[in-house]
Amino acid sequence: MKKMISLLAVLLAGVSLHAVAGDAEAGKAAAAKYNCASCHGADYNSPVDPSYPKLAGQHADYIEHALKAYQRGGSATNGRGNAIMGGMAKPLSKQDISDIAAYLSSLPGTLVVRK
Amino acid sequence: MKKLFLLLALAGVTQLSAAADVAGDANAAKNKVAMCIGCHGIAGYKATYPEVYRVPMLGGQSEKYIAAALNAYKKGERNHPSMVGIAKGLSDQDIADISAYYAQQK
Repeated sequence: MKKMISLLAVLLAGVSLHAVAGDAEAGKAAAAKYNCASCHGADYNSPVDPSYPKLAGQHADYIEHALKAYQRGGSATNGRGNAIMGGMAKPLSKQDISDIAAYLSSLPGTLVVRK
Repeated sequence: MKKLFLLLALAGVTQLSAAADVAGDANAAKNKVAMCIGCHGIAGYKATYPEVYRVPMLGGQSEKYIAAALNAYKKGERNHPSMVGIAKGLSDQDIADISAYYAQQK
């Protein structure tokens, strides 16, 4: 029984280590530090150029995926090549990415899911 | 003759700008979004390959951004396997129509 419990503890610890939990407050600071709003808009719902996405309220796990894809770059499998976002995503740690994603997804936005 | 050259040159310029900026028609997209709604029309739907995450919400997104993203998949600047497959089958007009369709959703 003791072995079982310690096995479970190890497994659970492994799971929580694997997924970096995002902290919206830390994300707010990171987004300010990396100037995300200078392109995506002060409320993250009014980008300065119409070819840039609105981010307020977008799914956190999608934002994480997108930022990691920009880090991987355009020639990598499941990567994204973009002159601006490639440079912006490069210095971000995994924790920064999770935090920024948590923050952006927590903001009130106008994005919806419709058929 | 000179006038003819001028006319031809002007026609060329018009053609170029038309190709770069196709006007989107949200109504025309209704027959084109069947491939999109299987994932993007289901609240909380998760892509499972090669990473697991909820697919992005598209309704109300900037029209030009949606077009830019689809063109990036089409040209190979974005490598997501399923989106590349879908975007490669879209014409410039399809992309403009689909972008207009999702941008006007509320």
